[in-house]
Amino acid sequence: MSNTHELARLRREKRLMWLQLMPVMIVLVVLFGGALVLGVAQSLGFAPWFGVNTFPDFTYFGALWGGASFWTSLWLTLYYAIVSTVLSLIFGILLALALVRKFPSKTLYKYLYKLPLMIPYTVGIALAVIMLGNGGMLSRLMAFVGLIDDPSQFPQILKTHMGWGIIAVYVWKQTPFVALTIYAVLLGVGRETEEAAAILGANRRQIFFQVTLPQILPGVISSTLIIFAFNIGAFEAPFILGGGFPDTLPVVAWRYFNDADYTLQLQGMATVVSIALIAGGILYSYLAIYRRYERRIGRQ
Amino acid sequence: MANKRASVIALSDRLSPFQKIYLWLVAGFILGPFIPLIIQSFAFRWAWPDLLPSTWWLTQREKSPLPLAWDYVFSPYSLVVEATLNTVFIGCVVTVICLMICLPAARVLAREKFRGKSSFEFFLSMPLIVPEAAIGIALLMIFIYIGLAGTYLGIIIVHLIPTIPYMIRMLTAVYQGLGRDFEEQAMILGANRWQILRMVTLPMLLPGVVAGALFTFLVSTNIFLLTFFMGQGKIITLPTLLFSKISGGTLDASAAGITLVVTVPGIILLLITERFIKEEAFGKGFGN
Amino acid sequence: MKKLSYTVALIGGLMSSTAMAQDLEAFRDAVTSGNATWEDIEARAKEEGVVNLYYWGGSDQINIWMDRFATPGLAESGVTLNPVRITGTKDAVDLVLAELGAGKGLGEGSVDAIWVNGENFATLKRQNALFGAFADKLPNSANIEWNAEDPRALLNLRDFGIETNASEMPWSGEQYVCAVNTARVAEDDIPNTFAELKDYLTANPGKFSYVKPPHYIGNTFVQAAVYAHNPDGNGAVPFQSSVDELGAAELARLITPGLEYLKELDGLVLGGASGNARYPEDPSAQDGLFLNGEIDFSCGFGLYRVAVGLRDGTYPEGAAQFVFPEGNMIKNKNYLVIPANAPNPAAALVMTNYMASVAAQASKLEIAGMPPGIDPWLLADDEVAALTEASPGFVGITQAELDANTAPDTNATLVDVIEATWLEYIERDSSDPIEVIVERAVANLK
Repeated sequence: MSNTHELARLRREKRLMWLQLMPVMIVLVVLFGGALVLGVAQSLGFAPWFGVNTFPDFTYFGALWGGASFWTSLWLTLYYAIVSTVLSLIFGILLALALVRKFPSKTLYKYLYKLPLMIPYTVGIALAVIMLGNGGMLSRLMAFVGLIDDPSQFPQILKTHMGWGIIAVYVWKQTPFVALTIYAVLLGVGRETEEAAAILGANRRQIFFQVTLPQILPGVISSTLIIFAFNIGAFEAPFILGGGFPDTLPVVAWRYFNDADYTLQLQGMATVVSIALIAGGILYSYLAIYRRYERRIGRQ
Repeated sequence: MANKRASVIALSDRLSPFQKIYLWLVAGFILGPFIPLIIQSFAFRWAWPDLLPSTWWLTQREKSPLPLAWDYVFSPYSLVVEATLNTVFIGCVVTVICLMICLPAARVLAREKFRGKSSFEFFLSMPLIVPEAAIGIALLMIFIYIGLAGTYLGIIIVHLIPTIPYMIRMLTAVYQGLGRDFEEQAMILGANRWQILRMVTLPMLLPGVVAGALFTFLVSTNIFLLTFFMGQGKIITLPTLLFSKISGGTLDASAAGITLVVTVPGIILLLITERFIKEEAFGKGFGN
Repeated sequence: MKKLSYTVALIGGLMSSTAMAQDLEAFRDAVTSGNATWEDIEARAKEEGVVNLYYWGGSDQINIWMDRFATPGLAESGVTLNPVRITGTKDAVDLVLAELGAGKGLGEGSVDAIWVNGENFATLKRQNALFGAFADKLPNSANIEWNAEDPRALLNLRDFGIETNASEMPWSGEQYVCAVNTARVAEDDIPNTFAELKDYLTANPGKFSYVKPPHYIGNTFVQAAVYAHNPDGNGAVPFQSSVDELGAAELARLITPGLEYLKELDGLVLGGASGNARYPEDPSAQDGLFLNGEIDFSCGFGLYRVAVGLRDGTYPEGAAQFVFPEGNMIKNKNYLVIPANAPNPAAALVMTNYMASVAAQASKLEIAGMPPGIDPWLLADDEVAALTEASPGFVGITQAELDANTAPDTNATLVDVIEATWLEYIERDSSDPIEVIVERAVANLK
């Protein structure tokens, strides 16, 4: 008797559980997943509403990957993403290490450094334009001290393929994010191990690399994962501050989507699918390598 | 002797001189660019190489037939008020809905085990990895088909996609911290389900819920690409308004004013977050 | 019983919607054949109540004029103006075509009128997406010359060479004028021809740039260069024919010298010295460069650009207009078109009539600096005086100089080809010969 009651209760609980998961699943699976599937389908030639149905058709990918400009765009996308992630990481860690110490007006500082987190990227872009442009503040300061007398003599920062303007905006926005994550981890970990190492005679450098860094590594990995993923797919900064053709991949996709020629829309889909595949691949391997490292040190 | 000195330095609670300079540099890097921005919003003409505007806005106000600079920003023609209302409204609704659907899901993820749980968790994180650009146009096509393009409901639903991963992570972490024992003890002591929820679960969840809500609001108010696609020009938010103003790569006085207006919700959010949330709450969401 | 009443309601609904559709079509036929009276149209417009005008929203001055002057002005006729700002005219055209494709006919779409010219109008016409011949049948149509015998009527009858058949109302007339910063450039050095520009840039490299195609202002610079370097020496004449009449090979032959010149210029414009030439994406970006002295000349459509810019602080104090390029300052008009599936056609007619009135044209001229699209020789003396007074004025150039250096715009079908060729040859630095690029572009556009 009680057995069937038990089974019925378990089944009801399972149903209740799935019911609780349903709304989230609907949004993610139906909308997000659906959009991915639709994107992949279009990139492979399935678009009857445009009058094109050549599924499965790899010519769009072929045309895209066959052109030299795609690989330059890919290189630029990865280069901006990697450099800004590395810089944000270094600056963020240094900031977090300083934040764990005591200093006057620390409460005020804790407000200040989080500001870029709270405002959209577009504000950061506006700040970059006003500071780093050839007609911007740094250029005017240089003219003021007599180093240059024409805006064209100012070293070109924005709108070049070196991308320092784009990288500056990413670093400005993401350093506080990294610092916040690492600071939170440091607070959670406490300073006992550091102090123990110091008492045992380690100097600052040794303490950082052999005690602190392993402790904050999870925070480092997760925050760099998030910002690297964002940087690969970002659109606003490379569009406004980029160096023109060849653009980064999201901007290339945008240009395809905006063209009057409808077949280029499918090419745009191929571009975004390529972005998703490349981003997914890199991040998955990044995580896999880390997990393997975790398992290794776990055994030790 | 040298060893002792080194360890004293290492143990010190104070900033090293390098760190002091570094903190000043960071503060300057973060806040410094706002100064010319504020000046530009008050300028009439500010050309290279002037360090201060050659003509200020206030002197020119009467002479021009059209509103300039801040007059324009606060006039109905700049659409700033409409954009702000839209942004805040959409942000609030997205936060509430996200909370409502993520709370039960987070509870399940924190407590239950089921087949496919790890792949479900992986799928939950995918919106963090796949860029908005990849799904934007396809989503727009789906929404045009079901008739939701250019509507508030459409934008709200779309904003759920990037916000759910963050909210679920924070809530799952909070639920994991909240052991089952408290609820079980309350049950033993005779409380019913409703009372347990009200007097045990919710108060313990509250810090995490508030952190998740604030973060979701933050993400939603900063989204540009998805709002741009879904809004179809009919519904404008602060990010889309600002983008259309500066997409040419130049900044005039009214654009500078609008940039400052866009910064204000962020500052308010900052003040709220800093007073009520401790750093650790954010750390929990990103610890893994 | 319930089912019966439901069916009756459904049939009634269908009948009334088809009845409504037939009624609207009858209205349209009456208007386009000239049989509708203005009182009828006005009465219908009051019933409809709203008109949705889709226009490029990138200019603060035009936006303010729409909200502050046009909306109250139109409200006097009992119609509420709903100005919809769009980032690109193409978006509105796409919307109209998408809705037509989804089966939304007259009375069921979203777009009542679009501010349009050139390729966008050509697209609408080609896809049969026009309301019909309305523009010469309204009271204020008297302000516009429709007589085909009069050579001055050309821009009212043809839009980028495509016949309008009165399906769009002229709104503004514009001419391509360049501004110079006299504080930075000596008067003797001001170039008037393309050759002089090249000499100036050889002496002062990087001091000029033009808006990048596919923006229409960028296309216009390329067209002017192509006219000036026409190997047959007859300027714009061959470019009035369509691409089918001309043929890819002939087109390639005609545009090659102009494109070669632009290629040489590519090394002399802003950023060209380092090999990465920077062309601003839109006119406001170009004006920013001009204000900061990064470029010495700024070209674009806008007879009153400098006057309005000085008034609103976007132009440097030494800005003045000058004659460039000699003989090829392209002149055209832009229009308001009513699409075939306008939801409020009568209100749209009342709105276009208002836009062609002297009052609207004068205030538009004064506030936004948009030159009038109506023809002054048809107006009364006091009306002409009102327009003259409202004008912000020219800076450094005279009407005579402007009239002596006009050229017509290029045929709409050629614009896409020339734009694609520029993108391929100059932006992407293709090493293919121009004939090949033009052939590819023509084939792609079929």
